[in-house]
Amino acid sequence: MCKDYVFIFLIALVFSTVNVTAQVTQNGWKEERQVYQKVFDAKLDIDEQRSATILQLAQTKPLIIAMVFTRCTGVCSPFLLQFKENLQMIEKKNFNVVVISFDTRDSLKDMAMLAQIFDLKTNPQWTFAVTDAIDSLSSSIGFDPVWDEKRQQFEHDAIAVGVNTEGIITKKLIGMRNSKDLELLIKSIEGAFSPSYRLPGKSNLFSCFNYNPQTGRNMPGLGLLFIAIPAVVTFLLVVVINLLTKNYRA
Amino acid sequence: METVKIKKITALWIVVVLLLFVVSIILGILMRLNQGEIIHHSPVTFYGNMTTHGLTMIGIWFVAGMAGVNYLMQRYVTVSLWPNMTGLIFTAIGVILLWVSTFIGDFHAGWTFLYPLPFKVMWASWATPMFLCSLTVMGVGWLIWSLGMVMQLLKRYSISQVFAWQHFGKNPKVETPPFVLISMITLVGVIASLLAAVVLLILYFMEFFSNSSFVNDALLMKNLTYFFGHTIANEMLYLGLAVLYELFSEVSGRPKWKTTWYIAVSWNLSLVFILTAFFHHLYMDFVQPEGLQIVGQLASYLASLPAAGVTVFSVIIAVYRTKIKWSLTNLLFFIGVAGWVVGGLGALIDATISNNFVLHNTLWVPAHFHTYNVMGNVLFSLAFFHWFAMQFANNNITERFAKTKLGLLILGGAGFLAVFYLGGAESIPRRYSNYPAEFPSAQVLAYVGAIFATVYLIAILFFFLNISKRCVKIMFSSSS
Ligand code: HEM
Repeated sequence: MCKDYVFIFLIALVFSTVNVTAQVTQNGWKEERQVYQKVFDAKLDIDEQRSATILQLAQTKPLIIAMVFTRCTGVCSPFLLQFKENLQMIEKKNFNVVVISFDTRDSLKDMAMLAQIFDLKTNPQWTFAVTDAIDSLSSSIGFDPVWDEKRQQFEHDAIAVGVNTEGIITKKLIGMRNSKDLELLIKSIEGAFSPSYRLPGKSNLFSCFNYNPQTGRNMPGLGLLFIAIPAVVTFLLVVVINLLTKNYRA
Repeated sequence: METVKIKKITALWIVVVLLLFVVSIILGILMRLNQGEIIHHSPVTFYGNMTTHGLTMIGIWFVAGMAGVNYLMQRYVTVSLWPNMTGLIFTAIGVILLWVSTFIGDFHAGWTFLYPLPFKVMWASWATPMFLCSLTVMGVGWLIWSLGMVMQLLKRYSISQVFAWQHFGKNPKVETPPFVLISMITLVGVIASLLAAVVLLILYFMEFFSNSSFVNDALLMKNLTYFFGHTIANEMLYLGLAVLYELFSEVSGRPKWKTTWYIAVSWNLSLVFILTAFFHHLYMDFVQPEGLQIVGQLASYLASLPAAGVTVFSVIIAVYRTKIKWSLTNLLFFIGVAGWVVGGLGALIDATISNNFVLHNTLWVPAHFHTYNVMGNVLFSLAFFHWFAMQFANNNITERFAKTKLGLLILGGAGFLAVFYLGGAESIPRRYSNYPAEFPSAQVLAYVGAIFATVYLIAILFFFLNISKRCVKIMFSSSS
């Protein structure tokens, strides 16, 4: 009898392990992917005469890498514009920005034009570049644009990647972000620890506290109940066992 | 018949625990040697060893306490075999799954597997679910075992008697033995912590199965992790204390300890404090409201006062200017209490919010929790193991090499712990596989730690050989 139970239990265990394995390689945590890994040391072409690898650039000053393509009809332009404006508001300037095209159709000329449009061509803090090793670079920073044949466009994130002087990715920002987030990114490339907390979204069910930005107040959430459950259930279990064993004591 | 089986299963538990202890110490020494740059492991190997070491140690000293309490409980109530058996089978399966996930699957998220680390797959993709399954299996087994014991206690004692509430007043009609009281209080804490693990694991699995359409709240997960981790690590110490309360006076040839009003009050209070002290693990979490941080500090202070204060007081009273029959068993208990007090003080220093800003995640943390384990709880259980083995030794064995064994144990343990404390005082971070140049003394301290730990290991090997030899005989003897 006992052996049967053990056998069934083992089968169930193996089954659930196999089943769950399929779920592990999920796509979440984009912003954390590749953080604290070394960035691929791609050779960047900056203009007709100049080229340098990412590590060579990073050695002088830490870098923020932004990924765009010049034929982008979506997020690239607003992203670059906001990025530029946010950076202007930040006083500390001990870092450089490298804008790299991930579209192999882009030439040095295209990138120079892009720099011109954003009025960054002569700004020494900014570098616009193309590279032959875009696939290795993209995978090393956890960036995976998908080509849409119909629209002749890439489906991609707006991404800024902080790389410190040792070539280590310290933080990533995905999406259009405010200057506060950018400050945290800059702090991280300077070696300071920046606490972060993932904000609850729609898929987040059991938050301990719910912050109301309108009132600025933190209200207890359903999650707190989960912390109390073990103690409450234990108490109930003891009471139930006490009732069940009443006859033995009599 | 049932008693004989429980005797045999206890002997088996003892052998298994000691065997796994030796392996886990070796993993610990390898970690210290790596930190000392004497050997060179990859970070994956280091953190794999750290995860295996941490979880195996917590697991074995928990089951050691349970086995001891389970065995001695036969003195007061009828103890059934099957919950104990279930605990054993589930622990064995759980340990195998754990070791496969870490040694073969390279899972290395630490024994606290803090969310979201298990989902940041930097190992074989099957290793995360296998690791979580291993915890589930052990958790279920231990829950059944604990509930089984609570059931046995409540078959004999009413709820108020088992918690010794009648001792709050004068002249209680029924006496609740201290062993029964402490066991019950501890088992309730154990059950709560295991249920916290159940909730935690369910949330983990939900996120797995939902394919990211459901994500967990990091703060909730951290609270649950420490509700489980901190509480079970503390409760396993109390299991050891229950054994001490039962055996110390007996082996010392002194009258048996009785439950008084202050023992009853202090242990009842400690249940509340122990269940809320885990908040001190979240001092650095800026999103946790301040009120809970204060609860964490207060509960940490208060938790230590009743149980530690009363126990230390009782032990000192028992030995001060009285004729004691000293043996290896009560010496181990006595030194264990001293280790527990030193570790407890180290813990209180760290649990003070203002100090925690300095000591958080430095070597001070492994320093204090290793103190009350390596020189505290382990000694309580070793005392029980030794006493148990001696009980059933046919001939009148003299306690050979007792002084050597104890000497090595104290020397090795104290030296190993001292360098952890020194490291903590110098703000050397914990959980670093290799120390950066900013901490010039860290490597040397790690190397010295490894040497002392080896001395400790030698002492443990002595105990292992001596005790296991007798336990194996007990396991295979046909007589009762
Ligand atoms: C002489 C015996 C032991 C040695 C040599 C040893 C060694 C170590 C080392 C080197 C670490 C890593 C420290 C760091 O840098 O953070 C560690 C962590 C740990 N040890 Fe031990 N230890 C021993 C005994 C014990 C015992 C008896 C227990 C528990 C009952 C224990 C539980 C743990 C735990 C829970 C961790 C934390 C693991 C983690 O952070 O995930 N150890 N030990």
